[in-house]
Amino acid sequence: MAAEGTLRISQVGLRGIVGPGLTAGQVLDFAAAFGTLLDAPGKVVIGRDPRASGVMIREGVVAGLLATGHDVIDLGVVSTPVIQHSIGRLDAAGGISIGASHNAAEWNALKFFGARGTYLPTSEAGELLDIYHLKKFALTPYQTIGRLQQDSAAIDQYLDDLARVFRPEPLKKFRVLVDCCNGLSALLLRRLRERFGLDLVLINERLEGKAFAHEPATNRKMVELQLAPLMQHVGADAGFLFDIDSDRVALATETGEAVSEELVLVVLADDFLERGPGKIVITNVSTTGLLEEVAARHHGRVERVAVGRQAAIDALQAFRPEQIAIAGEGTGAVMMPQFRFVYDGIAAMLGILERMERKNATLSQMLASYPRYSILKGEVGLESHKIPDMLFALEQLYPEAQKNTTDGLRLDWPGRWVHVRVSQTEPIVRVICEQRGDPPRQLFEETMELVRSHCA
Amino acid sequence: MSRVHQLKIGVSGIRGVVGEFLTPNLACAFAQAFGTYVGQGRVVLGRDTRSSGEMLEHAVTCGLLAAGCEVVKVGVAPTPTIQVYVEETRARGGIAITASHNPPEYNALKLFNREGLFFNQYERTELLDLYHQSEFHRATNDEIRRVVLDYDSAPERHLARVLKHVDLERIRQRRFRVALDGVNGAGSCMSVHFLRDVLGCELHAISVDPTQPFPREAEPRPEVLDDLRALVNRCHAEIAFAQDPDGDRLAVGDERGFILDNDEVLAMAVDCALRRHKGPVVVNLTTSAVIDDVARRYECPVYRSPVGEANVVQRMRAVGAVIGGEGTNGGIIFPAVHYCRDSYMGMAFLLDRMAETGSTLSALAGTLPTYYRRIEKFTFEHGRLGPIMQELETLFAGSQVDRSDGLKLTTPDGWLHVRASNTEPVLRLAAEARSVHRLEELYGKAARVVGRH
Repeated sequence: MAAEGTLRISQVGLRGIVGPGLTAGQVLDFAAAFGTLLDAPGKVVIGRDPRASGVMIREGVVAGLLATGHDVIDLGVVSTPVIQHSIGRLDAAGGISIGASHNAAEWNALKFFGARGTYLPTSEAGELLDIYHLKKFALTPYQTIGRLQQDSAAIDQYLDDLARVFRPEPLKKFRVLVDCCNGLSALLLRRLRERFGLDLVLINERLEGKAFAHEPATNRKMVELQLAPLMQHVGADAGFLFDIDSDRVALATETGEAVSEELVLVVLADDFLERGPGKIVITNVSTTGLLEEVAARHHGRVERVAVGRQAAIDALQAFRPEQIAIAGEGTGAVMMPQFRFVYDGIAAMLGILERMERKNATLSQMLASYPRYSILKGEVGLESHKIPDMLFALEQLYPEAQKNTTDGLRLDWPGRWVHVRVSQTEPIVRVICEQRGDPPRQLFEETMELVRSHCA
Repeated sequence: MSRVHQLKIGVSGIRGVVGEFLTPNLACAFAQAFGTYVGQGRVVLGRDTRSSGEMLEHAVTCGLLAAGCEVVKVGVAPTPTIQVYVEETRARGGIAITASHNPPEYNALKLFNREGLFFNQYERTELLDLYHQSEFHRATNDEIRRVVLDYDSAPERHLARVLKHVDLERIRQRRFRVALDGVNGAGSCMSVHFLRDVLGCELHAISVDPTQPFPREAEPRPEVLDDLRALVNRCHAEIAFAQDPDGDRLAVGDERGFILDNDEVLAMAVDCALRRHKGPVVVNLTTSAVIDDVARRYECPVYRSPVGEANVVQRMRAVGAVIGGEGTNGGIIFPAVHYCRDSYMGMAFLLDRMAETGSTLSALAGTLPTYYRRIEKFTFEHGRLGPIMQELETLFAGSQVDRSDGLKLTTPDGWLHVRASNTEPVLRLAAEARSVHRLEELYGKAARVVGRH
């Protein structure tokens, strides 16, 4: 039995603490299930982050895929966006990324991608889960077992593509400080610096398998502690902090101010809407309301979906690509249509630098153009059976508010909202509350009290 | 009803048809049980050339790492080579991914302890209990260790040990013309290197491409070695060798292309070993009495054990044997190299003996006393062995009786042995006598009893 709260198997994939939660047997079965879901023979691209457990998990993933008749192309230690990029380039049937992104070192996870490197839509992810549970895998006889190959060109090919979308040449004038958090962004940024002569100053750039310099969380608190204090010493024009996988990013300004993680999507949405007025921004119900204000400036609109990657993926499928300006979350994870609709922190970083260059503005000047929004976040222990009552009580408490039940309950007033939902990754209830201007302390406290009276 | 076992998880480890039966998950779980059993140290991993080997190697590596072991991969290597490596590098244990002489659709895990020996029955039972309880050690991120690759040193370590027991210069000077059939197995590259580069032979080799499938039946029985015979005749080889896919079994042909009986090959190896150093000999119950004749020349005792390499090795260690083996399957065990079936020591012994005497192989074989042997298998129903044994014992009253593995009855001019196979649902009947007439008498009577059941 897995210890409590150490394993999560869902449509998003498999995630857990290696040992007590996530085991070799589950990894192998999940890989075999994925090999069964894809039609054999079709190549499958894999890669992993630097966690020590990734070596073990890789072996299980390779075995499960070979056994279901797929050739495996192993990219080695690379980031998820590079894997997704390579799936398209190598015309593969799918891919698996081994890595736990923003989680601590003892975690690991599998993420699954279909052809062209897109995340599996919910329908297919559900089928994968069914095959995993049934354990009836399409294991192939000995004659048709797959072969393992390596591919070391993946990072350069990915950077070639990146450089076609974001021209690196004009960005050379910026001095950029990056906290790699001992993760994969270091590999990409070193090469980017080498090839295009960007002025990147990297810290925590050694890949680590067992202990990261700090928790790989891309939020303002972490930037405040780790990155912001160094900005003026280095004389950097912008500062970026990546998670292990480099799919998320957080910001610091040239003056050493830590920027709210909510603003990464805002800046990029502003940029993309400016060049594509009237388009749609896809985000979740917990992300800042500033997005609506920015979208309105460009006659765009915001499409809000449930929290989590899966809901965003499904929403992307519901629109024509040319309708969409950008998609992302307030966690610093952003997908851009120009770059394959994958969460890619490196692309987000280049996008922000490019905007600075185009606007001829410093990062803090750029951010000053947005009105102040204050967000408060809290969490309470989960008691699942009381959640419906609790949500109903909340609704009763504020009958005048506009109600949204996409994911838990969100209540809106002009310039103010509160969102209560159950986390998909931890056994907690999250409370998020935002207001244009000062922090909405009273609304937040009232809501927290109500939630506490039902849970924990 | 007797069944063909497409998967067998038992005291001999895990073996089965890859795909539906022997799954990567089973291999991974078994490896994790193994890693839990031997502890969080270095475990050596190698394999033969089967197309399922690479896939299973990843599954086994996954299981070992998950148990917190460091995995030392020696890649494609013969089983004896892996065993020597385990012992020499003081690893916690080793796993060879090979189904030995079984057909290509099969694969299996062979398990070795820290001495590089097959698990004995007690170790196997403990491991099996661990496997069934699924109480594996589950290493955390901090405890997970690395994978180390060492593809080169394993053959060197093994061959260096072999060479200590023959006169290398004497062999090299003869520039023997040797024919080899490597069955595209784990020994392919190593055997070519050994015979051509190390022993200085003029080598004519077929089926020595480890990337290709087995071109013939995996077990080197005389009936499947036509290509090797043709090669001997074409290149006028003085001796011919055929290996199985994991290089533990050896078949030998003479200069006329005649494939020698495995019992005779073992007898010659016993002769070589005792000539250098006298001591006890251990063979299994089904091995020819020719071994006793050879040992008698050196006044050395012969002990018999139940069939199976692990049983022979266990007995050899107990009695301090200088050589042992199983005539039935071409296994020569020379403990001065390692307690394992070793086709390389067999090749070296025979070439050294030829170099020493200047004799042809057929002349050397001709000095052995002549016996007539017959061994057949019968499909049978479980539970029928007992009645068969009772009836045979009554029928051959007055024989010397050994019940340690089925029933062996020895008379002054011959013997017969009936036993159930460990690996297949079959019953094996073997008989030997000094004359064809007596053999047919012994075998015929026994076969009628078995047939009735």
